[in-house]
Amino acid sequence: MSEEFDDDEMLAAEYAIGLLPADEMEAARRRALSDPVFSARIAEWQAVLSEIADFESVTPPVRAKTAIMHQLFPETARVSVWRRLGLWQALAGGAVAATFVLGFILWQPGPTDQAGPLYTAEIMSQAGDFRVVAVVDKIRNEVILTRTAGAAPEGRILQLWAHGPDEPAQSVGLWPDGESIRLRLPPEIAMVQGTLTLGVSEEPIGGSVTGSPSGRVFGTVDIPNVSDSI
Amino acid sequence: MRGSEDDTHKSAGAELEELISRCALGDRKAFDALYDATSAKLYAICVRILGTNAAAEDAMQDTYIKIWNNAAQYSVTGHSPMTWLITNARNTSIDRLRALREDSDLADHGDVSTGPRMTAEQSEFSVSRAGRIKDCLSSLPDDRSDGIKAAYFDGYSYADLAERANVPLNTMRTSLRRGLTALWECMTQ
Repeated sequence: MSEEFDDDEMLAAEYAIGLLPADEMEAARRRALSDPVFSARIAEWQAVLSEIADFESVTPPVRAKTAIMHQLFPETARVSVWRRLGLWQALAGGAVAATFVLGFILWQPGPTDQAGPLYTAEIMSQAGDFRVVAVVDKIRNEVILTRTAGAAPEGRILQLWAHGPDEPAQSVGLWPDGESIRLRLPPEIAMVQGTLTLGVSEEPIGGSVTGSPSGRVFGTVDIPNVSDSI
Repeated sequence: MRGSEDDTHKSAGAELEELISRCALGDRKAFDALYDATSAKLYAICVRILGTNAAAEDAMQDTYIKIWNNAAQYSVTGHSPMTWLITNARNTSIDRLRALREDSDLADHGDVSTGPRMTAEQSEFSVSRAGRIKDCLSSLPDDRSDGIKAAYFDGYSYADLAERANVPLNTMRTSLRRGLTALWECMTQ
């Protein structure tokens, strides 16, 4: 809250409570997107008001949770395939090209039994201001990351996270600087069969101290059908 | 508000914060745990706004779907985890209530995460306000505190409140603005 109850403070309060007509609500919402001081004032009022919404708990019916889980994580393979297809179609052309090129080289019949699959994916923020191409190399159990847009804010670093289906997310490693980095997959992540999820967050130098992302998570990507053999 | 709770709450807040950040990574177990830890609180808000009925259940479902989908944006809002969750539940319920009323003057609240993170000073500044809203609200004349609560929990705008009280819009607006000014003065004392 400001030192003085000026017009902007009033507007922030009226917006947070919802007293204004639709057009003025919309104008205030849009202004908050580009005005950090005004946005912080709204956040303050939201925080203050949330304290009056502190009611005696009411246990929701069990079906509510079932419905949410079903809606978010439909179990049928068909739906999953379509969702995944959407993700893969969203890949940048460069990343898809990389799949074919690298895949071709590695899938040559060779004298060794070391051949393993290679997966590429792109991690992209919703706003599109941050993009990373990830190549998961199952021969070496490594992941190679390349930034194509955006970076960690000044004084912060990037951190890569990963998990398998229904597994807790864990840190893969830190990405302190540079356009590109190669990280060894931790044993639990190297063992993932099926959908492998990767995510990138920005963290303090030295990485998150909580074991989970503590800063902004730029985005995640699901890589379907990951396995050790081609 | 951030940093305003005692030690027990702080660790609970840190736990919720961790669960939300894990949801941002697509960690379903974290979402499961977040639901179990918070759904009774959030459902209570949906029930207060919409009544004990299917609409309240739907609003709670929408709230958690938004929480899952917007978890990555949580860290930039500057909110404490409970403020973020409560504001999501309240805004989602109010939007649904207004849709049910078929209000032509309909405005969705959109995402809670409208803007960037508060600075450390702003967060500190807010500490002194914590826990005072209830006392400050009850120090206002009844019609003003009732008006503010009706707007927040029943989705009434100045125009709706004026119509319900059968007074001119300007009268209602002036009265509630005085109430908000007094509320702010009480909280910043």
